[in-house]
Parts: sequence; C-alpha cells; structure tokens
Amino acid sequence: MTGETGTELRASDATLIARIVERDESALAALYDRYAGMLSSVLNRILRDAQATEEILQDIFYQLWRTAARFDPARGSLPGWLLVIARNRAISRLRRHNPASGEEFLENTVVLPTNLESNIAQQQLIGKVKSALDNLPIEQRAAIELAYFEGLTHSEIAARTGDPLGTVKTRLRSAVETLKRNFQPSSKP
Amino acid sequence: MTSGHPTRPEDFDLYALGVFDGDEKAAFEAHLASCASCQAQLAEANGRMALLALSVPAMPPAPGVKERLMRQVAATSPRTSGPWVPAEVERAEGVFARWWGLLLPVASAFALATLLLWLHNDQLERRIAELHGTVNEQQGKLSQARDLADLMSARDTVVVSLAMQKNQPEGTARVIYNSRRGLLVYNGHLPPAAADKSYQLWLVPASGAPISAGVFNPVTDDTNSIVAKVPPGTAAKAFAVTLEPAGGKPAPTGPMILVGPVS
Repeated sequence: MTGETGTELRASDATLIARIVERDESALAALYDRYAGMLSSVLNRILRDAQATEEILQDIFYQLWRTAARFDPARGSLPGWLLVIARNRAISRLRRHNPASGEEFLENTVVLPTNLESNIAQQQLIGKVKSALDNLPIEQRAAIELAYFEGLTHSEIAARTGDPLGTVKTRLRSAVETLKRNFQPSSKP
Repeated sequence: MTSGHPTRPEDFDLYALGVFDGDEKAAFEAHLASCASCQAQLAEANGRMALLALSVPAMPPAPGVKERLMRQVAATSPRTSGPWVPAEVERAEGVFARWWGLLLPVASAFALATLLLWLHNDQLERRIAELHGTVNEQQGKLSQARDLADLMSARDTVVVSLAMQKNQPEGTARVIYNSRRGLLVYNGHLPPAAADKSYQLWLVPASGAPISAGVFNPVTDDTNSIVAKVPPGTAAKAFAVTLEPAGGKPAPTGPMILVGPVS
C-alpha cells in the first residue's frame, strides 16, 4: 500500500466509495493504492502472466469506478469483494472461460472476518493465513491450493492427483474446517 | 446435500472455494437463490476463502497500471472534483506550497545571516590586513637578518671600535660596516640621555659632510643597536656619536660622545 496521502490513509473504504460515487478520481486512486498490491500478488500467482495481471487489475478498478453506486459497504467488505473478483477473473482467464460479466457486486457478497483497510491489519492477517496453511497436512494444503489457485473442482483434483474422489473430498472438507477455525476473528494462528 | 439447507456447515466454504461441480453445485445454487440465511453464511465463507489470496508472496503492481486506469477514468467520466494527479506530482506540489509558507521567515533569516556574515567578513579583512603587516614585518626582519649574515661574512666588511671622549658620559660602541653594500650595524653602551636629547650616529666619509646613520636614546636599557643603510660605495673615515636635540639634526651640532676611526 503506497502513495496514499495522510487524508486518504484515514478515510474508510466506505468514505472513499462514497466519493467515487461523486466522481472523485482521487478516491479511486486511494483505493487502488490500498489494495492493488494485494490483488496484483494473487493475480500473478494464478496467472503467472504479467500482462494478463495488469489487464485484470485495471479492469477490476475500472469496474469499481463504474459500479461503485451499487456497492453497499454495510453488506460486505470491499477488499473481500476485490479478492473474490480478482480470483474469479484470473481463473476464467486461466481456464479460457468467458470472463465474468463485470457486474458481480450483487452476486458476490463477501464478509471478511477482519478489517483490511490498514496496512498493519493486512500484514497481521497475512501472517495468520500463512501460518494456518503451513499447519495443514501437506495433502490438504495441496488440495486447497489446486482448488484456489487453479480453480479445480473435486473431480478435477482427483483426476490431477490420481487420488480417489472421496479422499479428495475428505481432505478438502477437513482443510476448510481447520481454516474456518483459524480464521475466526478471535482465534490465534 | 439436498435442495434444502446444506447439511454441513463447511459446505459454504467448499462452495466458495469452487470445488463443487455437477449436481452438487446445481443443488446448492438452487437453494441459495431463495435462502437469505444461506446467502449470509456464504458471504462469510467467501470472506474466509478470499483470505487464501494473502498467502502468496507480495508483488507490487506494475507502475503503469495506475496511470492507465486513471487515464481511462478521465477519458470516460465527467468529473465533479479535481483530476487525479500522480502521487509524485501531488507530493511535489504539497512540498512547494509548504515552502512558500516558510519563504518569508527563511528570507528574513537569510538577510540577517548575510548581514552577520558581512560584518564578520569585515573583521576578517581587518585581521588579514594585520596579518599582512605582521608578515611584512617578519619578512623585513628576515631580510635584515640575511643582510647581517652577508655583512658578517663579507671579506670587505670592517669593524670599528668607538672610544669614549674626555668629560663625556662613559660608554663604548662598535660599528660593523661594508661600504660596498652601504650597510652598517652599531652596537653600544651609553647611559640614557635627557628627555630633550638624543644620541645620533654619524658616518664620517673620507670626503664631505658627516652622514647621519640613525638617532637613538636609551631610556630603560643602555644597550643600543642600530642597523642602517647609507649610500653604497661611501668610503668611511670614521664613525662618531654626538648628543643632539631630541630627534637629531641633519648635521652634528652637539658634543662628540664616542669616536672611532676606520683603520
């Protein structure tokens, strides 16, 4: 997160969204500074293609500019929505699916277990997430990563790994149970 | 899982992860479309799975993306606020404005500093002039010392002893003289003269009037030394010291105190 002025650093996502609705370009720039690094990292991890990463990153924030009026901060988290949209767009590009319509606000309500508006909060959560993944059994972690970063379904993971479908389902179910416990707001990594 | 609520709570996370396919996925979505409670649970599951993005190594966005985005925004949307400017420009403008606010006191401080520096410079110039004087004085003394060394080592230098005259103050003196160089050194012992009197050293040439070689009056010390220059090539017949009015005279007028012939 770089480039935000002191005033923008103090502004909440909701405030900046409201200013975007009023066509304040500096508010969009501030949100870009706040979250573009996070999105760029995951886009690059999924796509491993710098040009595609840049295109999708620009598209996401341009969509935010166009449809900000439809975003209700009370219903969901902006960084959560941005992460979901980034992953969906990247997986679609990776699997050569048709890209999303670009109007995903209503279809993808996302509630994060914590606030990511400050860089400190982002760093703390990054540590928590990495720790949770590191503590998973290696087969569970591999299955989670195939699902999240490559967009594979149960049956596709089973086909990729050669493991029985039931085994894959069990591993993933156990993994998300563990992650859910670790990602609770009051839980320690 | 049936078309009712998901039977296991982790189903929301698995759906958010995107691993359902086929009938399983269709059944989940069919129920979700009409169940606000499950939509809320899915929203939380979406958030949990979204956090997996944070496990990847941080990679800053390419520097050109933001500028392209803002150009795209500016080209397609009417503005109600000022245009976005790159952070570097914004920072530069902010710094410039702050400097303007500081300009007046800074200028005043600069003017005061200039005045103080000018005064200090004036003091330094005077000090430099003093040092120049000291250097010139030292150079003069050095030159005199070299002259004396040359005088003492020259073969044609003569040494003349001056003797006390009858009924005059007790004293002795010696003159070292080199006519070729026109240089002499007097060193003697005489009692202090009255305040209105001075001793005066004379070179008595072989022909012509005596030439004054210096005026002196020992007040606190009866030892006197004079280094004097006379016209080079002046052949000396004798040297003499007379008592003259204070400050001396162009020609001897007072009593002769010491005399020494050049042999």
